[in-house]
Amino acid sequence: MKNPPFNYHRPATVAEALDLLAKHGDDAKVLAGGQSLLPVMALRLGQPEHLIDISAIDELKAISVNDGVTIGAMVRHAEAEKSAEVKQHAPLVAAALPHVGHRAIRNRGTVVGSIAHADAAAEMPAVCLATEATMTIASTDGARTVAAADFFEGFFSTALAPHELLSHVHFPAANATTGTAVVEVSRRHGDYAMCGLACSIDAGGGTISSAALAFFGVAGTAVRVADAEASLIGKPPTADAFAAAADIVKATLDPSDDIHATAAYRKHIAATLTRRGLAEATSTIGVPA
Amino acid sequence: MTDTKDTQTSGLGFMGQRVQRVEDDRLLVGKGEFVADVLPEGVLHAAFLRSPFPHATINSINVTAAARLPGVHKVFTGAELNAITNPFLPMFMADGVYTPLYKCMSDEKVRHVGDLVALVVAESRYVAEDALELIEIDYTELTPVGTIDQALEPNREQLWEKADGNVLGNLSDSFGPVDQVFSRADHVITRTFECPRQTNQPMETRGTVVKVDKATGHLEIHNTSQAPHALKWALAAMLTDEGGIKNFGKFVRNADRRQAFTAAAKDFLSKNKESLKAQDNAGQVSQLKKDKSLLKHQGKMAMGLLASTDYPTVKAGDIGGAFGSKGPITREDVAVAAAAKKLGKSVQWIEDRVENLMDGGQAREEQFTISMAVDSDGTLRGMKVDFVLDQGAYPGFPISSLIIPLLWKLYMPGPYNIEAFELNGQIVATNKGRVVPYRGPWANETWLRERMLDVVARELNITPADLRAKNVMREGSMPDAFITGPTIDETMSVAKTFDRALEMIDFDQLEEDKAAAEAKGHRLGLGIASYHEAAPGPPNFFSSAQPGSDMLLSEDGRAEIQADGRIVMYTSQSPHGQSHETTYKQVAADEFGVPLEDVEIVWGDTDRTQFSFLGTGGSRGGPLGAGVMRMTARELRRQVTDVAADMLEAASSDIEIIDGNIHVAGVPAKGITYADVAAKVATDKRTTSGPVFTEQMQYDGVGNGGWSVATHVAWVDIDLETGLVEIPRYLVVEDCGPIINPGVVDGQIRGGVAQGVGAVFYERHHYDEQANLLSTTYMDYLVPTAMEIPHIDIEHMETLTDGENDARGTGEGGMIGAPAALTNAVSDALGVEVYEQYLPPYRILELAGVIDR
Amino acid sequence: MSLPSVNAPIGQTLPISVTINETAHSLDIEPRRSLADVIREDVGLTGTHLGCEHGVCGACTILVDGEPSRACLMLGVHADGAEITTIEGLAEPDGTKHPIQEAMKQAMSFQCAFCSPGFLMSTVALLRDNPNPTEAEIREELSGNLCRCTGYTSIVEGVETAVTLLGSSALGSTGDQATGGVA
Ligand SMILES: Cc1cc2nc3c(=O)[nH]c(=O)nc-3n(C[C@H](O)[C@H](O)[C@H](O)COP(=O)(O)OP(=O)(O)OC[C@H]3O[C@@H](n4cnc5c(N)ncnc54)[C@H](O)[C@@H]3O)c2cc1C
Ligand code: FES
Ligand code: FES
Repeated sequence: MKNPPFNYHRPATVAEALDLLAKHGDDAKVLAGGQSLLPVMALRLGQPEHLIDISAIDELKAISVNDGVTIGAMVRHAEAEKSAEVKQHAPLVAAALPHVGHRAIRNRGTVVGSIAHADAAAEMPAVCLATEATMTIASTDGARTVAAADFFEGFFSTALAPHELLSHVHFPAANATTGTAVVEVSRRHGDYAMCGLACSIDAGGGTISSAALAFFGVAGTAVRVADAEASLIGKPPTADAFAAAADIVKATLDPSDDIHATAAYRKHIAATLTRRGLAEATSTIGVPA
Repeated sequence: MTDTKDTQTSGLGFMGQRVQRVEDDRLLVGKGEFVADVLPEGVLHAAFLRSPFPHATINSINVTAAARLPGVHKVFTGAELNAITNPFLPMFMADGVYTPLYKCMSDEKVRHVGDLVALVVAESRYVAEDALELIEIDYTELTPVGTIDQALEPNREQLWEKADGNVLGNLSDSFGPVDQVFSRADHVITRTFECPRQTNQPMETRGTVVKVDKATGHLEIHNTSQAPHALKWALAAMLTDEGGIKNFGKFVRNADRRQAFTAAAKDFLSKNKESLKAQDNAGQVSQLKKDKSLLKHQGKMAMGLLASTDYPTVKAGDIGGAFGSKGPITREDVAVAAAAKKLGKSVQWIEDRVENLMDGGQAREEQFTISMAVDSDGTLRGMKVDFVLDQGAYPGFPISSLIIPLLWKLYMPGPYNIEAFELNGQIVATNKGRVVPYRGPWANETWLRERMLDVVARELNITPADLRAKNVMREGSMPDAFITGPTIDETMSVAKTFDRALEMIDFDQLEEDKAAAEAKGHRLGLGIASYHEAAPGPPNFFSSAQPGSDMLLSEDGRAEIQADGRIVMYTSQSPHGQSHETTYKQVAADEFGVPLEDVEIVWGDTDRTQFSFLGTGGSRGGPLGAGVMRMTARELRRQVTDVAADMLEAASSDIEIIDGNIHVAGVPAKGITYADVAAKVATDKRTTSGPVFTEQMQYDGVGNGGWSVATHVAWVDIDLETGLVEIPRYLVVEDCGPIINPGVVDGQIRGGVAQGVGAVFYERHHYDEQANLLSTTYMDYLVPTAMEIPHIDIEHMETLTDGENDARGTGEGGMIGAPAALTNAVSDALGVEVYEQYLPPYRILELAGVIDR
Repeated sequence: MSLPSVNAPIGQTLPISVTINETAHSLDIEPRRSLADVIREDVGLTGTHLGCEHGVCGACTILVDGEPSRACLMLGVHADGAEITTIEGLAEPDGTKHPIQEAMKQAMSFQCAFCSPGFLMSTVALLRDNPNPTEAEIREELSGNLCRCTGYTSIVEGVETAVTLLGSSALGSTGDQATGGVA
């Protein structure tokens, strides 16, 4: 289990990185925290000819507040976890982070890397869907933005072209009457979830005005269940309303079997998590971060 | 009783103390020497090309491009290595069983994912792995055998052409009037159980570093072996490349060698007369019926061993756990040694985790149908068990999976009085990794029996505790021997642990807790399991299964006092986490009456320690290994006392040794030291270095002892919404006799229980129906973490007997009891019977009726 | 610290400067080599162990700029400019064990101890950031490290013992020891 050979590049600026990507595109991979890419390479399941290590690019290391929070591509999970700005302006991101692997993994892995990697069982893509985050994608052609809903295309596949860099992700601000929660069931503590839910609920004035339910581990990508969300609107945030939404979730999702869980099990816990997640999210409304 | 205890804690009284580990002074500061740390100057690195297919023939292999890669020293095809090595032969044979012969590499056919096809030796492991990708192989896939059911199909593709289909062995035996008991009992209850594949998964993988002496060609092999002496002999035999006749000629011409052999043979024959007489040759006959080539290979290797004057040296340094998986000698060990020998260069091979999951040792894929004959009042009368054991593709060496049913045969009735027992079953080959012993290799007999007792109890409307209480063997009315043969000492009764466990369960509280759990959508349950374990059993234990086998099982040890007074103890054990260095120092220091640091323990080096077939395994380290340390130390102390008595002009019986001060009782001020005595003897002998006192002994244990006994109790709390299980309490009540070091014993028990928790709730080695391995990384094979393993309460009983060094083994029991107690608890919680051992959350919810299967 | 841009074609080595256990090293390494292999083979500090090489077992955990990291999931070149502490860096130069090592010895925390370097390094960071953890916090923080021998109880006890030892050694001394002596 040793890495295959590669041409190694460590650009110091985004511009250099984009030039390298433009030049090597199809044969290159971006290396951010390496916590997903390096094991894949050591197992020799992936053998990029060029590795473009973005870890030395200072421009990508910032967390900035701008009607929400923008997280740069080299912000490590642990830095985001410690950030007061993230906690305040992107509470769902903050809620998700403790679930991502273990501390040593979070010390190296990046939030944006996790999004670019697009593992269907990972927390961060679901958080992007639930918060309707915006991806900033850079290349020598210029920058473009893509809504989270259009970004995740399938199993480990995204709207990123080979020559593009996901430079930042913007998570819009949550308003004061919104509660959030990330709940999941994994085999062992710290494992990727068999099923998880990133959810938010706005229940200002005692009725639900908006809700987001983004599941992970149950399909090729993270998925929102629009019918279940719609069923909540206009209702008070009660166990009955949550249970009704859970029933819709169960009827809608179409997960598959693997060695850790059957489809039937995943549906069942998706419903359980809907009830638990919404209750937990509701309990956080108005609680200062 | 107290007297016995006193003789067992002589000297300074380290015995029984929680002495901190001397091993930790090197291990905790990063100064251990594990096999991967052995990097001799210029060492080359090896990597194996492994089959991606479960079952295929190899049509052609092209290594040209790989061999040309810069940094590659040599690419060996399977055929090249096979040509310079001898096959793995069955060492352990039984009537009705055929054990296929196999070579260190696969050159015509591959039999499991990960099977060995080629070996690259390169300047680094990185380059070696690069070269693997350049090897071109043309395979033709064959129908795989992925399940026990497929293995039993009569016309399925065969793994081994000389076998009957994919069945390698049929075993059956019975004890007592089986038909009569079953026809007369009030009820016969029958159920089928299955346990899926597990894997040992020590945190350190396997590895071997073969150093080649440029001048002499001598091989010094650093290896993760639990049994370095067995490895040394096996390698000496398998690397013999000359013909038998030629070697016989060499032997005949070498007078020294001839004389040494004749003396050793005479000694062996006289020591083992009884065992040799007891051996029957039915196993050998079964084997020869299938494959006569055995004799030819045996002859060639025997002649090679006779003629050779240079056997490899094997050294086992620090080993990162094994749990049975590093006992067997493996094909990689042979292939890497052969490659290094051929190249004349030192080579390191360190198994990576993916390789370890493919073939580092797997276990326990077994199916059972059990019938219990029982009367309406709960009296157990008899038991019949049919089994199928899936051994994977290649038989283990030197001890194949055959050992498992032979042990079931002795153990299965357990600590209960029954009149009749019958065991029938088959060993089958499938396209999967090797089965190795895994901590209590026979453990499924306890799981099966104890789970079935709960089934029977519910059928009869008795509580599981009452059913056990009624039938468990008790002191006072205990037979001298189990119905299956081995003798037992009545002080080693499971009943004591069972009774104590029941005292420690608050059944009223349990009912309250169950109600509270139910109120929040959970279910709580309690499970009990009891067993006895030959740890290592009485001297007649193994011969009850395999007559004559006891001659390979005595434990050797040596004690020396050097000319400078240093005390050095040599053990044939090969510890890998069990803290032998500490516990053996405790035992020896007590005997010599010296501080711990005055004793040095030597292990793992075949040039310095005596032969042992098993090394560390079979719960022998405490009873036999420490036993022979005690015996040899005691004898040397006697000899030292005699010399000291002369020096002090006193009678030997008046000599006392305290804290290294050898003196006449009551006159400590006029004492002398071991160094003084050693110096005196050295002067008399006119030497200045080397040992001046030496004592070498063998120890087999004594009497009818050697049984460890225990009762486990598990409480489980199940969340019906998620299927997640918590273990709010876990209790082990155990009796392993006098404890040498409670810190060590507790650690062994807890570690074993943790593996049992893993087996039931987290760990399954998944192959699909086509024999493709699915759990190929640690993301898929789930070793539990600190979050999953509960605190485990331990209650020690420490019953003493009259024997010397009556410590009994305790390394395996945790894993034996836990799966039974835990599955019984789940069954109690959910109110349904559980017939499988592996219960992931989805399965829990299926059993609870919450989700559909 | 900002690093300059570099390019290394296949087969070419890169020079790096790294401080390991307070000793500066200048190394020339092939970029594909893992930091674990560099530390073990190039620097010769074999106390850092490899149990899985894919980030799960935690045996290779070291401190990189004070934070626990998987040495198997970093490239050697990632250590350029970094300060690294390995198991060999915990004890005093005169061999006196670090209080956490001493505590783990007293608690008889380990058996084969193959996993111990990872647990020790994780514990150093844990007790620096949270000098008085609850048992639940200890279990959670150490859940990124696998041990196959012990069932974990003795390791948790070792951490609890370390809390006591560090607490008493911190009395009357500077904060240095309270942080486990590792910056
Ligand atoms: C033991 C273990 C447990 C884990 N558990 C979890 C878990 O529970 N939940 C979870 O979500 N994750 C988990 N992870 C993964 C971890 O979160 C990773 O950090 C994350 O998936 C990827 O981030 P990274 O920075 O390490 O990316 P890398 O490994 O460097 O890259 C991953 C992929 O994304 C691409 N990429 C990265 N950044 C960019 C970019 N800016 N632009 C374009 N492409 C980019 C890379 O080319 C690569 O294909 C675990 C990892 C391990 C080893
Ligand atoms: S070796 Fe790095 S986590 Fe296992
Ligand atoms: S002590 Fe052996 S793996 Fe932890």
